[in-house]
Formats: sequence, C-alpha cells, structure tokens
Amino acid sequence: MTETADNTELVHYVQIDESLCNGCVLCMKVCPTKAIRVKEGKVARIEGVCIDCWECVRVCPKGAIKAITSDTFDLTEKDNIIVSPSTVLYSQFGQDVLPNDVLLGLKRMGFGYIHDQSYTSEIFNLAIELYIKENREKPNSPLPFISPVCPVVVGLIAYRFPSLLRHIPPLVTPREIVAREGKARLSAKHGREPEEFKVLHITPCPSKMICLKESILQKRSFLDAAIGINSVYEELKNNIKDVEEDIVLHHSGGIGLSWGMSGGEISGLDLHCLAIPGLQETIHYLEKIEMGLLGDIDYVEFRACSEGCLGGPFTVMDKYQGKRNLQKLVRMFGVEKRIKYGYVKKLYEKGWFFTDKSQVPGGEELPQLTSSEISRAIEKQNRIEEILRLLPRKECGACGCPDCSTFAEDVVDGKDSLQSCVFWEGQKKKLGIAGKGRDYPNVA
Amino acid sequence: MADLVKLFNITARDFAKAGESSLQIQSLLKSIGFEPDLIRRISICAYEAEMNAVMHGGDGELLLTVDPKNIVLEVSDDGPGIKDVELALREGYSTATPEHREMGFGAGMGLPNINKNADSLAINSLDGRGTHLRIKFKVGDS
Repeated sequence: MTETADNTELVHYVQIDESLCNGCVLCMKVCPTKAIRVKEGKVARIEGVCIDCWECVRVCPKGAIKAITSDTFDLTEKDNIIVSPSTVLYSQFGQDVLPNDVLLGLKRMGFGYIHDQSYTSEIFNLAIELYIKENREKPNSPLPFISPVCPVVVGLIAYRFPSLLRHIPPLVTPREIVAREGKARLSAKHGREPEEFKVLHITPCPSKMICLKESILQKRSFLDAAIGINSVYEELKNNIKDVEEDIVLHHSGGIGLSWGMSGGEISGLDLHCLAIPGLQETIHYLEKIEMGLLGDIDYVEFRACSEGCLGGPFTVMDKYQGKRNLQKLVRMFGVEKRIKYGYVKKLYEKGWFFTDKSQVPGGEELPQLTSSEISRAIEKQNRIEEILRLLPRKECGACGCPDCSTFAEDVVDGKDSLQSCVFWEGQKKKLGIAGKGRDYPNVA
Repeated sequence: MADLVKLFNITARDFAKAGESSLQIQSLLKSIGFEPDLIRRISICAYEAEMNAVMHGGDGELLLTVDPKNIVLEVSDDGPGIKDVELALREGYSTATPEHREMGFGAGMGLPNINKNADSLAINSLDGRGTHLRIKFKVGDS
C-alpha cells in the first residue's frame, strides 16, 4: 500500500501533453497564479506555482491537459479501509437514491468501515461558531474569517494573498477529523495501531489529492488516499440496491447535506456570513478583504468551483442536476440543528478541533525590506511601468505571457525581449522610435 | 533615484469602476514588496478617498508617489468641497444622499477612516472649489 501522506515530494496532478497542445493561450489566460507560459507559440508549460484548481483542464479545447487521477492505492484489502465520501456523492444518483443507500452501496463494495462525512460537517459548524464568537471581538481580529475547507482557496491564499492566512481559523476540516477520529476509534476498539487502518476519501476534487501530500494547514494529512467520484461511480452504482436493510450509516440532517453546494457550509451558522463560489469571484473578494473591506462580516465560505463542490471536476452528474438532488435531500431531512451544543463545546475546549500546526507558512512576519531593497524594487517597478507605456496593451497573450504586465516584468528580468510582442514593430513606428538600431528602452 | 509616480483618473458617479484605482495601487505596492499591514492601510485610504471623490467630488485625480521612505496619495477633485472639515472628520457624520446609502455607502466613516490609517493627513478644501487630500505614510520605522 502506498504511503501517500509520507511522500514528501510534491507531484502536481496537472500535466500538459505536448503532442496534443497546439499552443493556444486559453490555459495561460485562466491560470489564477499566472503559472503557465506558451513561449514561441509552441506548447504550454507550467513554470510557476500550481494550486491544482483545474481551470486549465476545464478550458483546454484539445484535451491536452491531463491529470493523474488514479492513485496507486491498493483497494484489495478493503477490510481495513475506512471510506469517507464527500457529501457530493449523495447527489450523483438521481432523486430517489437516499444517502443511506449510497453508503450501503459502499459497504457492499466491501469496504470495512463507512463514515458519513456530512455528519461531521454539522459538528464542525458548531466549532466554527464557537471559534468566531470567541475571537471576533478581540482587538485586531482578522475579520472576516475565511473557511479552511476548500484546498484550492487555501492554496490561492498561501500563494497570492499570504497576508490573509491569518484570516483562516486554525481548525481541522471535517474530512480530516473523520480520518483522525476514525483511525483512533478503530485502533482503540480492536487493540491495533491506528496506522493499520487506512482512510480513503471519495471526492469531486482533484486538489484533495494534493493536500494529502502537502498540507498547508496541518503538519500532515490524516487521510491516506483520495479518489475521484468518477472512478468508483460505475461499481458503486451497481451496488446501490433498492432493498430494505436495517443498517443506518447516514446520520446527518439537511445542514450537513447542504455542504456539497455553495452556501451549504454557512447555512447552519448563526453568524454574519457570505458564500462566494467560483475562482474569479473568489480572487475578486480576496482582493477586497486584503484592502480591509468586508470587516463587518464574520465568516466567508469560498469555493473555487462554481456552485461549490458539486461543480468539482470528478463528479459524474451535471452540477445543476446534482444541486436539485441535494436540495431535495435537504428539504427531506430538514434544517434544524441536531448536534448537542454541550457535547461539541467539551470537545472544542479539549482542543479536538484545532490543527497541530501552530504556524502556517506565510503566516509568520515577513522580513521587512531594507531601504536599498525598496529602492531596487521601485526602480524595477518604474522600468515595468515604462515598458507598459510602450505597449499597446492588447492583453492578447501572443507573446506567451498571460498579460502585458507579466510580459513587461519578464522583459525587465531579462527572461523575454520586446521582440516577442507581436505589435512591437508597428508600435515602434507609431511611437517614432523605429530605426534607432536597437530596441528602446535598453532594459538590459 | 527616480521615485515611482503614477496618476489615476477618477470619474464622478462612476460606481461601476470605483475602487479600481485602489486595487491597482494595492497590487503595485504588493509587487514592490512593502509589508502587508502598510499596504492594507494605504489601500483603505485610497479606497475611501476614491469613493469620496466618486460620490461627492466630481471628476478628479489620484496621484501615487512612492519613494523608499514615504508613500504619498494625493487625491484632488473639482467637486463642491467640504463645508466643515472638522465636522467631516467626525465618525458618523455624513452628507451622503439616500441613493449612496442604498448602495451601502455613507456611514460617515470615509475621512475618519483615512485619518485613522494614515500617518498624516492634510485636507485642503474650499466650499465650492473642490477638495485636495494629501495622505502620507511612512515606510518602515524611519
């Protein structure tokens, strides 16, 4: 069995197949970390930090961007596997299939232990509420707090908005609580080591596989593997049967079930909250928060995918149909809070919900720049601005950079030259700087 | 050593574009690498000043000057001016119209917020002749 969590080498699941890529710029344009370049009009290459958001895979018309979806996780010894599916799984089989039917289907597939993650999500809701009520009134409290649940959003914050890392409460996500507690309970029950049990997460989200290997908010992930909903779908569907069984595996109410949709996480919170789905909107609102806006909001649920996790790439059902199915389940099970507050409060006070990592990367104080470093940075920025004034600002991407300002920066850094701009020759004439023997400005 | 100087235009009552300049200033300061708390304070001031000009001011300009020791925002507009500067600096005092309030503005926190976040603020305004704000921030402990 592969110890994925111990594999410290970070392998990104997004890879570009050079034989299929025709060098169009769509992936480069959507990449939120501006990690992709298409130099010399050939193939796209990932040069920067990938946060596994999947936007490039979704947009590629050639199917050239691929993902390694099947982990080398051994599924033959299912007895020792605790399987914990994302709530989204319940929405994938039509309106008449209930969560318990889906979980029984997993049992029939041979998995030793099944855990209903949506129940843990309801417990987590109360913990978030406790944390925010305890912390929001403190001086310099980083409002709004930001949900730690979506791994793409956490990666985006760590890479592009590090000053906002302190807005993420140091709480462990429901999927991780399931894994940690599942192992601990089985180990106590059977007198075996917790490591002998493996936790498999069934997910709509490719980023979950990455965060097992490089967890930003924890020392290490308690999950052993994650597989896409689409890779178990057929087998599971064949195991979902319309027969009466006395085993109850599903425990959550409507609040836990709504977690698969945008707005689901905050639906059970008695706080001043917003739910913002979609990567572009997420970036837009993170910028606002970084500007000090939205300070009157307690908590923001960001999800990188539109419609929330239902829009994840590894789903089978169309996201809007999935939403309809989940909405029906939410109505059926009701939205009253079922978890006992006193019970969660005790766990909370014991530290049960808190992450083992005291300092998240980037959360520490950044070293202050010295005066001469600032001077150099200002000078560089001035050169970038100077080049930008020379460019026609078509933002076309034909140079191979995602936008004109990234191109200007690459030119200043000596990684590219103004010749790469397809408008440059015409622009020289227009600006009256043609035929000067060399390109203006001299940026070397 | 040349300072970094950048001019932004502000269009009166253009709420769709309002906030754009502050966003650009924020991203510019981020790429230079100033510390996040300083950037946050500057962004708040830029945003509030920009919104004030958009709401009350009429067309205007926002001039950003960055040198290794100071960052200065100068915001000028050709609007009606501020009748009573002392009053305008008081939290909760607002001359916003019902229309502004419907959009979520007009809590009377604009100028007080700038005053709170800037290292120094100079207001030059004459009734009927526009407003000029000079908002200054010190870089580091210097």
